Parts: sequence; C-alpha cells; structure tokens
Amino acid sequence: MIMQVRMIAMLAMAGAGWGAEIPRTPDGKPDLSGTYDIATLTPLTRPSSLGERQSLTDAEAKTLADQAKAVAAATNKASDPNRKAPPAGGDGSEGPAGNVGGYNSLWVDIGEGAFKVDGKWRTSILIDPPNGRMPPATAEARRLGAERAKMSRPNRGDAFWITEGISPGPYDDPEMRPTAERCLLSFGSGGGPPMLPVMYNNLKQLVQTKDTLVILNEMVHDARVVRINGEHEPPEIRRWLGDSIGRWEGDTLVVDTTNFNDNPALNGATRNLHVIERFKRIDGKSLLYGFTVEDPTIWTKPWSGEILWPATDQRIFEYACHEGNYSFGGILKGARLLEAEAEKKVKK
Amino acid sequence: MANGKPDFNGIWQAVSSAHFDVERHMARHSLMLRDGPHGPLPAVPVLRLGAVGAVPGGMGVVEGGMIPYKPDAAKLRDENRRDWLDRDPEIKCYLPGVPRATYMPFPFQIVQNQAQFFFAYEYAGAVRDIYFKDPGPAETDSWMGQSVGKWEGDTLVVEVSGFNDQTWFDRAGTHHSSGLKVVERYTYLTPNHVQYEATMTDPAVFTRPWKISLPLYRRMEKDARLMDFKCVEFVEELVFGEHRRKPLPR
Amino acid sequence: MTAKTRVMLGVAAACGLGLVFVQVRSVYAHHAFGAEFDPNRPVLLKGPVTRVEWINPHTWIHLETTKADGKKEIWMVEGGTPNSLLRRGLKRDSIQPGQAIIVDGYQAKDRSNRANGRDITLPGGQKFFMGSSGTGAPYDAPGKDERK
Repeated sequence: MIMQVRMIAMLAMAGAGWGAEIPRTPDGKPDLSGTYDIATLTPLTRPSSLGERQSLTDAEAKTLADQAKAVAAATNKASDPNRKAPPAGGDGSEGPAGNVGGYNSLWVDIGEGAFKVDGKWRTSILIDPPNGRMPPATAEARRLGAERAKMSRPNRGDAFWITEGISPGPYDDPEMRPTAERCLLSFGSGGGPPMLPVMYNNLKQLVQTKDTLVILNEMVHDARVVRINGEHEPPEIRRWLGDSIGRWEGDTLVVDTTNFNDNPALNGATRNLHVIERFKRIDGKSLLYGFTVEDPTIWTKPWSGEILWPATDQRIFEYACHEGNYSFGGILKGARLLEAEAEKKVKK
Repeated sequence: MANGKPDFNGIWQAVSSAHFDVERHMARHSLMLRDGPHGPLPAVPVLRLGAVGAVPGGMGVVEGGMIPYKPDAAKLRDENRRDWLDRDPEIKCYLPGVPRATYMPFPFQIVQNQAQFFFAYEYAGAVRDIYFKDPGPAETDSWMGQSVGKWEGDTLVVEVSGFNDQTWFDRAGTHHSSGLKVVERYTYLTPNHVQYEATMTDPAVFTRPWKISLPLYRRMEKDARLMDFKCVEFVEELVFGEHRRKPLPR
Repeated sequence: MTAKTRVMLGVAAACGLGLVFVQVRSVYAHHAFGAEFDPNRPVLLKGPVTRVEWINPHTWIHLETTKADGKKEIWMVEGGTPNSLLRRGLKRDSIQPGQAIIVDGYQAKDRSNRANGRDITLPGGQKFFMGSSGTGAPYDAPGKDERK
C-alpha cells in the first residue's frame, strides 16, 4: 500500500506526460506564470563526502530538514542580556560574515530542506558533469582566479594592499567592487542567468504571454524580458542580464541568453557566457528549472543543473538598492581611512 | 484578450513635457535658475548645457493647470527648484515613483495575461506588479508604492499607496508626503493609444485632490523593446567619486 | 545526524549568538561584512531605538546610547533585508522608537557611528523580533511553504 502511494507520488512529480494537471494558457501552452521560492538546502555542487551519490534517502532528507529546523531554533534562542562586546580582533566568523559576525539569522532565508526531482532528493543542483562538480577551469580562468585571490584576505581591519605593496588595491574605485555591492545586480547569480538560490529573497515571479516571458528577480528588482520566438540582438548590444529569446519545445520553454556585458552575475563568467534555460511545469504547484552554462573562456566544458521551483503565495517586495546603499560609501571611505593609517605606518 | 479585457500588451511611451513640468508652463532657460540683471538665467552648474538644458513649454497635463499646493508645501517646491541638482531624485537615478514613471521620456512595457498585469519601465529598470486581490495596507513604504487593480469596463483602475516621501512628480520640484494616494486609469482608446489619468490625494501637502491626463502611444518600431537603463553605473562618479583612492576633478 | 548530512547541510551556527551562514555554496550577502566593519573595534550598544529605516539593501536601526560620561550618541546598526522579515509576518511597527535594545557588533571601518547588527536583542536577551506584536516565532508566519 505504502509502495503504491510512493509510486503515484513519484509519477505525479514526473510531470505532464504522466497525466498530472498543469495549468495552461488559452492557446494551449503550459502556463509558467506565478511566484516561486527557490530557496533550498541542496547546494550547487555536490559535497565531496557524498562521492558519486546523486540522491539522499528519504531518511537523510528528513534529517537534513530536521537539522535545519533545529539550527534555526537554536539561533533564535535568547542571548545573554549581560553579554559583553564581541572579541577584539574579530569573532572568527568565516565567509560573508567576515570575522565580524554578520547579523542575526532571522534576516536570511536559505531554505528548509533539499529539493526533490523525479522522486529523488538531489545532492546537488549540478547534474552535469555527472559527479555534480564543476568541469575543469581553463588556464585563463585559473590566472584570473589567482589575480582575484591576491586581492582578497580575511578581514583584519587593515589596508593589507598598502603594507603588501599590491596595486591596484581592491577598493581603489567603485568600478572594481562586486556588482552586488554597487547595487547593480543581485549577489550570487540570484538574477543570473542562470538563476541560483542565494542567502535570502529567493522569490522569482514569472509573467507569461504568447510572445513574452518576464522573469522578475526580487533583487535588484530586475525584470528579464524574454522575447518568445525572437532573435538575438547584434553583438554590439550587451546587457546586464544578457539578451534572452525563447521558444517552445513541446511543453518546455527553452530560453537562450547571450550578449552579456563584461560583468555578468554568474561568478567568474565573462561576456562570452551563454546560458540555456529550460522551464517545465511539473504540476499546479511547481516548475522544474534546468540550465546549461557555457563560457569557453572560463570552463573547459559546459555544465548543467536543475532546481525544483515550488510555487508560493508569498509576495515579492520592492528591493530598491541603490537608493539606500549607505554601505557602499562606508566601504570606500573606510578603505581610504585604513590606507591613510597604513601609509603613516609604512613611512615610519 | 480571451477574458474580454482590452489587450494592453506592448511597449508604450508618453510624448509630452510632463516629465519636465506637469503644470502648464512656458519654455524657460533651465530647470535650475538664478537671478540675472534682466530676469532669470541658468544657474552656474548647468550653464554650459545651453539650449540642451532649457525646458520646453507645455499646456500641462494637470487638469486646471496648476497643482493645488498648500502654502508651506509650495515654498518647499520652490526651494526644490532652486536646488534642483542636489534634490531631484532622477539625477541620482532613484526609482521614479508613480505617476512620474509613466511619463518619463523612456518606454515602458506592459505584460498582461488573464491574471496578471505587469509594468517594466526602461528608466532605472523600475517594475510594478498590479495586485488584483487587495493585500491590505502596505506593510512598508516603497518608491513605487503598492498597486491594487480592478477593471471598470475597458479601463484598468489602479490604486497606489504605501509610497515613501522621496519621489517627485516631475523635474520641477513637485514633492509629496508618504500619505500620497494615486488612482490611475488606463483606458483603451485605439489599438495604439491608451488614455492615462491619475488622481493624487495627499491632504498633508495639497488643498484638494488633483488630476493629470495624457495619452500614451504605442512604440510602433518592429524592434521596439526596452534597452538597459539601470543608470546606477552612470551616477557612481557623482555619488561616490569623491571616495576614489585618486579622486578625479569635480 | 550523520556526518554526511552535516556536511550536506553546510550550515554553521555560532552557539547562542543567532548567526547563520551557509558554507557550501558560493555565498555572498549584498556585501561581505568584512569590507565594511572593523574586527578591531568591537562595540556593545544599549539604548532606545530612535528610528528604523526599513530599506534595502539593509535595514538600519538607529539607537541612542549613553556613554560613561553621560554624553549621548546616535548609532546606526545594520541589519538585513526587510523583505525577509515581512514574509515572516513582521510589520514595520514590530520595532518601535523608544524600544530598548542591546546590540553587539563591530564598528564601521570609516569610524562613523555605524556597526553591524551582529546580535540585536531586547533587554532580556530575546532576539529583537521575539515578543514583537503578533508575530511569535519567526518560522510560523502564514504562507510559508512545506518544502521538505
């Protein structure tokens, strides 16, 4: 009995071919319109400890979700009201928390569990290469990576580029800073393409007509307009989100994006980025988003992934970024101040 | 459309001088003036723009000609005009608000299906999603407000509220408070024309509600589309340039 | 909980401090905090909220602190995106001017009276959204999907 129920559930997940109801437009196409929350704990690349495993067991997936819930509950417990200031020299926090501890966890929304495709809990968004990890980088990519690494250090509150004689320094000009910090694009390829889950505000809204699909990314209020049955723009026209054209292949909308400018959202990519996305309705409550990325300047082979997009009745809120970007001025001013201090020391 | 509603899909644009000044006005030297020996002249920072910096005249889109500002609010508008370069949010590429977004000198796109009505504006990449189910009072202020729509025959009526107090109605210093409410009407005229009306109510600032009205024209070019005009990158030097490691002349 | 799952999850919580960040995927917030705040300048701020800016990319909570010599200062504390809070059912008035808060964090590198809201609590130590009107725990807001 339980086996039969699971079979039916898996068949339902497999989509229209098995008789699941998907919403359709008056002209018979699948209706992709709706708001989706793509937050998930399934990472982009497969953790090495999972080896070649493409899926978790139901029990493991449940443990993952339970653990996330437990972590959330723990982080929301009361703090010591008599606590002191955090340690001088930093609190050792890594990644974006930058040795200063970031902020409270309620501001983020990283998802509640892994996602399921074809009845299997995925261990990574990447499905090709089949080991769930990035293909090898080109020599040029490694060179660019090394250049970037020169400019990056754990946060010690000092102008290391002065003391280490690195020029240009990482904060010399606004144009050198990440597009997210400048409020030009969402961080982490949230808007992409490809659109990947990020730390918060993972909502996407699709508005579909016969000749247009608008993809609204909450951050930074970026509406990508896909011209269905359109043609790509000439090569001298470059866009922040690239130029997207779409065509239906059966019940899948295939979106092809080229003409990126020199600063695409996808980390490490160049203007030679080419993304193919596939939007396929699974049922009334979800959509399967697939993508293939190629950028021969950076990766030796294309790579592909899939993310399940569950529909949500939550709303996208305005994300005006530049209008309130106090941080950016602070970051540049801070760098100038630290440089002055470092230069004084160097003179001594 | 299949549901009987008029089809507003496409690229639209206003053609008027409303974005300079929504009131009835003669052409003038500049958006920022100073006193000269024989009348106003362009202020120093805009002098070299010459005729490109001059303001074209217009019969105005405000019904009755003028905005009914309360006396203190009119004073603030005048101060905004004197200090235009520092105060106009458009200069810093801030989101334009409503109704200014509609008549900016840039196209916008309406994407409409049975259940959704979505605006994508070329200027600053502003966006608006029209809710057909009222979600209640806006939980927070925003630049573009919260839009709730309903159909009255062939007219889409949109009530917009939940504004912050940061946007202007044009480049002529016309401000409002966060209590502003706007009721828009988009009426199908012909396949290529929409009549746009907007009524502004803001008792803290105006002595009574006031209304604007102007046509919107379909962009007929075969390749009509929105281009990128994020514009944030164009104002980085203005807003942040003084903090470069080696600041450039200003 | 298996070691595999722990790695898979990739979420680390500094115990009791309410900090979460994701290790596994390439993750950056709007900006890396390391660019803005100075680990050599820890602060502990206590006082009433004077203003809350519910804006993006960061909420800013202003509070008035009183130094040992009685001098009053206004500090701005950086939080995250208000959009997350709104979807959790918090409202703009969930944190009101006058509400006393405690903030521990680090001062901005530009030496202004700004700090990151490393941990923002009420005077009793509860996370600041707890005990706000009508919200309860942040994860039971209406409309949150079951995605397990």
